[in-house]
Amino acid sequence: MTIQKYAVPRSIEEATQLLAAENITMFAGGTDLMPQTKSGARKFKTVLMNLNRVHDLRGISLSKSEVRIGTLTTVTDILHHYALRTAAGILPEVANAFASGQIRNAATLGGNVCNASPAGDMIIPLLLLDAEVELTSWKNSAISTRRIALHEFFIGPGKTRLGANELLTFIHFRIPEEGFVARFEKFGTRPALDISIVSVGIAGTREHGGLRNARVAFGAVAPIPMRGHAVEHAIDEGSLTAERIKDISRLAEQEITPIDDIRATAWYRKEITRTYTERMLHDICAARN
Amino acid sequence: MTSVQHEINFTLNGKPVTVSVALHWNALTLLREGLGLTGTKYGCGEGECGACTILVDGVSVNSCLMFAVDCDGREITTIEGIATEAGLNMLQGEFVKQWAVQCGFCSPGMIMQGMYLIKNNPRISKDEIKRGIEGNLCRCTGYSKIIDAIAETLHDEEVRS
Amino acid sequence: MSIFEKETLIGKRIAKLDAPQKTTGEARYLHDITLPGMLVGRILRTDRTHARIVSIDTSAAKALRGVHAVITAADTPNIPLGHGKDNPPLKGDKVRCIRDEIAAVAAETEEIAEEALKLIKVEYEDLPPVFTPAEALKEGAPVIHDSHADNIPFSFDYSHGDIAIGEAESDIIVQDTFKLHFVTHCCMGVSGLIASFDHDGNLTLHSQTQIPFLYKKDLSPVIDVAPEKIRVIQPPIGGGFGSKLDIYPFEPICIFLARASRRPVKLIFSREEEFIASPTRQPVELTIRTGVKNDGTLIFREVHTLHDNGGYTSWGATTPFVIMQTISSLYRVPHCRYHTTVVYTNNPYSGSFRGYGNLQATFAVETHMDKLAEMLGKDPLSFRLQNAQQAGETTPQGMHFKTCGFHDCLTTAATQSSFVEKHERYRTQQNGPIRLGVGIASLLHVGGGAKIYRTDGCGTILKIDDFGKVIVMTGSTDIGQGAETVIAQFVAEELGLPMSAITVINNDSEITPWDVGVHASRTTFIAGNSAKRAAYKARQKLLMAAGEMYNLDPETLDLRSRHIVHSESGESIVEIGKLIRSLHFRDKSEIVLTSEYYEPPSVMQDRGFKGDVSASYAFGTQVVEVEVDIETGIVRVLNVTAAHDVGRVINRQGIEGQIEGGVAMGIGYAITEHLIVENGIVKNPCFRDYKLITAPEIPKLDMTFIETHDPEGPAGAKGIGEAPSICISAAIANAVYNATGIRFHELPLSPEHVLRRLKSERNETLSTR
Repeated sequence: MTIQKYAVPRSIEEATQLLAAENITMFAGGTDLMPQTKSGARKFKTVLMNLNRVHDLRGISLSKSEVRIGTLTTVTDILHHYALRTAAGILPEVANAFASGQIRNAATLGGNVCNASPAGDMIIPLLLLDAEVELTSWKNSAISTRRIALHEFFIGPGKTRLGANELLTFIHFRIPEEGFVARFEKFGTRPALDISIVSVGIAGTREHGGLRNARVAFGAVAPIPMRGHAVEHAIDEGSLTAERIKDISRLAEQEITPIDDIRATAWYRKEITRTYTERMLHDICAARN
Repeated sequence: MTSVQHEINFTLNGKPVTVSVALHWNALTLLREGLGLTGTKYGCGEGECGACTILVDGVSVNSCLMFAVDCDGREITTIEGIATEAGLNMLQGEFVKQWAVQCGFCSPGMIMQGMYLIKNNPRISKDEIKRGIEGNLCRCTGYSKIIDAIAETLHDEEVRS
Repeated sequence: MSIFEKETLIGKRIAKLDAPQKTTGEARYLHDITLPGMLVGRILRTDRTHARIVSIDTSAAKALRGVHAVITAADTPNIPLGHGKDNPPLKGDKVRCIRDEIAAVAAETEEIAEEALKLIKVEYEDLPPVFTPAEALKEGAPVIHDSHADNIPFSFDYSHGDIAIGEAESDIIVQDTFKLHFVTHCCMGVSGLIASFDHDGNLTLHSQTQIPFLYKKDLSPVIDVAPEKIRVIQPPIGGGFGSKLDIYPFEPICIFLARASRRPVKLIFSREEEFIASPTRQPVELTIRTGVKNDGTLIFREVHTLHDNGGYTSWGATTPFVIMQTISSLYRVPHCRYHTTVVYTNNPYSGSFRGYGNLQATFAVETHMDKLAEMLGKDPLSFRLQNAQQAGETTPQGMHFKTCGFHDCLTTAATQSSFVEKHERYRTQQNGPIRLGVGIASLLHVGGGAKIYRTDGCGTILKIDDFGKVIVMTGSTDIGQGAETVIAQFVAEELGLPMSAITVINNDSEITPWDVGVHASRTTFIAGNSAKRAAYKARQKLLMAAGEMYNLDPETLDLRSRHIVHSESGESIVEIGKLIRSLHFRDKSEIVLTSEYYEPPSVMQDRGFKGDVSASYAFGTQVVEVEVDIETGIVRVLNVTAAHDVGRVINRQGIEGQIEGGVAMGIGYAITEHLIVENGIVKNPCFRDYKLITAPEIPKLDMTFIETHDPEGPAGAKGIGEAPSICISAAIANAVYNATGIRFHELPLSPEHVLRRLKSERNETLSTR
């Protein structure tokens, strides 16, 4: 027997207690777990835990300064959330390019983050927003939480700093300031149903002729969804002239470390990264918001 | 793979159901093998083709990705559950009328996704319909008449009301 | 007295007969059928591409609880099957490609079957593999089948005219090599079979075969069951497209499991298995030399095709025959020489796939037509018109074009799409990263079957019961295209009945008469004619009976809306059911029962491959408008304008559906689909990485049907099933040339492929911002 027991917690407390006590495989939408266990890439542990009845973990709440998204919030929830469009429009925009309608209805933000694919679509905009993950566990008979900046959360393909007994409960980010602008491009021949070959996210706050506090993130071109620090510094350095944009996009090409696989070669991924970075920076300059 | 069985209770096409499922089963296996409802199809088992689309609490999902045990306490609607007492519902009728069915293998999944799209956005445009069925593969029709069928249903419903 | 007007169903929009049950989940496909006591069958496939099998140990699998049978080659007659009879169902001595079937189990559940497969131990001695025809042809290359030491199971030649004369007469000669790739059918319903024996050794198969009668004949020696003891039941099929035209190893394997376990066995592929083990479209390396005169007259084509036959022979090896037809006869070509070499490798093997070699051939021919037009300083349309055949012509290969809408297709597609004007504009006036282009291509394909066997016929039995209900038993198979609906239309038309009075039975070999199978776009034409003639016989019987009973001249009578009527006035004489009951319940009792075996007036090709092989030929032209992003290589098809010579439109929606579906499939072939086979292994056996066209990607499609009223076709119709996929990849490549100045000789035009060429050519006509 592989799976021997089934658990359905109804609260965060119950969920973390179970995680502390048992050998658990947990599921929410199942959109990554089901194919992975079927193929044998992942093995079930002795207890299967269904997280979907912990209703406290689903939902988007906004305060004056912060957004908090529960781990069970689906990609469709994000796509349709009205207030999020004004507060951090890049998130619903990326949700619109995610997989398919059926998968958006089931896939959760927490699942996408914890699956930690280097191509994880929803991770890129969260990196642009300087998101933090809240990790909760049951320690010494009490709930214990800690936060990690998302850009420090990933350590390798499919690997994060999530502890064995920890549950990712919420994702937090500060509502971006006035003048914040963000763009996301995912390479593909389809509007959504494409596994990322390359994805590029660029954000920052408008300043005369350019951006300050630039945030740049790349997907599917490194072992983890990565921040492009060199590109960020280059953007911050001055206004975005056509010549500087060309140089910055070449820097992007050099900063990433893509591999060859059946979807694309490293050469092609570099070409697309450079081209998209250039186009997106031009687009930011030309647009008003 | 083997695993322990677990009994679940849920509403299936409007009727209460109690059934025992293996913990590692997906909802597709529950429907087809556990309950003998073969209208929902296996197309790929990986959430890439949409042939297995069902409604869970009114929301469309790929049943091949959903854990069977997660059906517990939910309202599940399959292709077998949408016809009316009078016969085919409006969307099914349009699929027939518009020649949106050729081999028909993708049709249950397309129709369930169509039901969700129409319910969710009664003003949906043809371009939005195309995006709406982007997760449903069809090898026969080239999609054109399927899009027409969904669009015509909206028109029928408008005319009706 | 009721009056009935003459009405026709031909050309109308009529719903598909089986559509309602397919919208409710009631239609039971093969995958949905369970028989009492049924077991699950699974196949253990090899993980090697070329190896000697040293040993197979099935003892642990046999001992597993819930396993009812485990078989290997040693347990079976081991007679090779397939078009080339070189493919033993289970492999006992040697493995030749990644599909090879080593063992099979029948177990109580899928999980137990999977577990049992894992317990089978196989020992191999690896052999050096070859993965290209060129490698396989080298001196000293590993021998794949001992029967062919040179790895060449087939090669042949065709010629008409005299190439030497052709070369001498040509002012311009162009040569290129085209490489066409592996793609696969991706039927939404995966492959499978249900086999069950009764106590007397009678075998019932629930099968997705496209050739129910040839199937019985071909299976019989392999499974050692007399053909008359085999019954083939055909549930609705989840797509065919040619994938089920041959016998494949999984079929006898399933039957052997049923025999060994003495239970019904259902063997269904997983999707991954479908990608790996289902036959592909034939990859081809095609070298072509075309010669033309300065005045634009085409003079000669010389072609050599090299076929990767994979580890075993299936119908892919016969695609040279279809390729040959396009090389010899698409446009007027006075001189032609054609050689083909089919070569074994350790790659997966190919079968038949909608278009059957014609996509590959047309890609080459129509790219050359475009190239030559440019070199001659002519526009692509007028160059083609100059060389396009007209009605009444017979090609040197012997194809007689009784009707020919070629010119109309060219001019219609070009006019509707403003092709000439756009082609010129896009050629010269573009800048920026997004470039537009238009391209044109035409096709020639059989439209009335193909006489590859001595008979290309179809049988129909028709009965009308005492209540006016018609049952049409046709040997033809419906693979989802709507053939049964068209057959019902012909019968309804002939008998003056509504569609609701007609039931078509086409799915049980115990009931239906012989038909060769659904391929070569033959079903509307041949099965249609067969049904029409059987209905005509019934019509005559009814009119004669009415004439006799009511003392009227049958020539003045007609059948309309379930009544016998006076033709001129439309006045009813008697309702059909009443007439039939009168005919039946009387002293000289008769029932209405007719039959017809229709053989099309085509001929088999002679030893020189010449002959009028089809009863009719279909033409079409497609103009494609594309958008190319020259910085990413992404090619988007914006519009397709199609004009097809279909003889006559029988069911408007049905024919539109064929064009829409065929165009999507053709765009996939040209741009997005690629079954990546590296070192004999399929690297992308999943929809995530094998890209079918999805709904947001479909172009705007404008279709015109040219009706040339084929004299032999039922109501004038020609076959259309394959045509829409055939020329679109050439049109797309020609459009990409128009947009970028780059000629592509390899498919698919994936973004990376296109960008690499764009970067390496560094064409001056391209300037970025």
